[in-house]
Amino acid sequence: MSVNYTTVLWNTQKKWYDLLLWGGILLLLFSFAIFQIIFHPDITIETLIIRATAVAAFTLLHFILLIGPLCRLDSRFLPLLYNRRHLGVSMFLLALVHGVFSIIQFHALGDTFPLVSIFTSNQNYQSISEFPFQTLGFFALLILFLMAATSHDFWLKNLGPKAWKNLHMGVYFAYALIIVHVATGALQYESHPAYWALLVLGFALVAGMHLWAAWRERQKLAAQNVLEQAGFYEVGPVADLSENCGKPLFINGENIAVFKYEGKVSAVNNVCKHQMGPIGEGKIIDGCITCPWHGYQYLPENGQSPPPFNEKLTTYEVKVLEGIIWVNPHPKAAGTYIAPAKING
Amino acid sequence: MEATISILLLLLLVYLILGAMVALLLYSRGLQQIDEATADTGWGFKLLILPGLLCFWPLFLMRLFKQSAKTK
Repeated sequence: MSVNYTTVLWNTQKKWYDLLLWGGILLLLFSFAIFQIIFHPDITIETLIIRATAVAAFTLLHFILLIGPLCRLDSRFLPLLYNRRHLGVSMFLLALVHGVFSIIQFHALGDTFPLVSIFTSNQNYQSISEFPFQTLGFFALLILFLMAATSHDFWLKNLGPKAWKNLHMGVYFAYALIIVHVATGALQYESHPAYWALLVLGFALVAGMHLWAAWRERQKLAAQNVLEQAGFYEVGPVADLSENCGKPLFINGENIAVFKYEGKVSAVNNVCKHQMGPIGEGKIIDGCITCPWHGYQYLPENGQSPPPFNEKLTTYEVKVLEGIIWVNPHPKAAGTYIAPAKING
Repeated sequence: MEATISILLLLLLVYLILGAMVALLLYSRGLQQIDEATADTGWGFKLLILPGLLCFWPLFLMRLFKQSAKTK
């Protein structure tokens, strides 16, 4: 059984996403155009298009590059990630308009074929102020084209996830080329230091966020490693558990029930002492885990039945790390108190 | 330099033309021989993957030959 490809799997979220995306792009283009016309009233339409699309594409590229680290730092940014390919393709289209108009403006109507002229009109590779920045832009556009052309599940499947991912990591190489393209191109003509400040700030933001996310991931992996070394197993997200409900699971031959209640998580043996009912399918009622078969109850933090009853369940150590539940399947003696893991601790 | 760039661009053009021919072959012979999920896809989808086919056509040509050899 498989799902056939469609051009775009539209849904309400994607439609809103694209509406906001292109609304933002058009607003940026329009605002920039007004700004340019005010300060450069003699600007031609071609130059205006070249500059406006450059600024829009470059701004969008920064936004795209920030999504990855933002999602690693806070899962609330994940909705931006789901349709990131729409951002990428849109950014490529803006860059393409910029590239085509630039080639026409600076390389057309001469003796040399425009695409040849990009590489031959300026060969001052030793100079910084006169560096052939357009060749850098050309290669960056080529990378972005390959990425846009393969921004569909068809390519993910047919190129293979590893090759596809490697191709799309080329965005960082394209970004580096564009940074140098801007630095040796537009910023050689724009003398105001604010432009350099913006370029450096943009790069610092992208680099800084990546480093921060990498540092946080490293810390998280180190903490996970500590838990694994201590015999804990990853169970799943806390969010998957409903409040005052349990989840049965098997780890290393142990039949365990995990419960979420009052901002905490506890784990006890899944087998009721009465008639071996599935504790994990029960609920927490009046602060007690309640077996769904005959209503036998146990306190979640120590597995003991409330007085005057004497039944006791084995308990298990449980931790919550960045929203993920970890359980140590090594059982503690029946009735042993285990401090519940705080969900936001 | 100009001659070198011109030759490279010419080779690129030839590559893309060959890619267009392979894309037409795939569209007519059935892209679903290579990927079943392309069955019943519209021209919108075919147009969307065309730029990529122009770039990666050797991969698909190889797979088409392998698939034909298997069915024989």
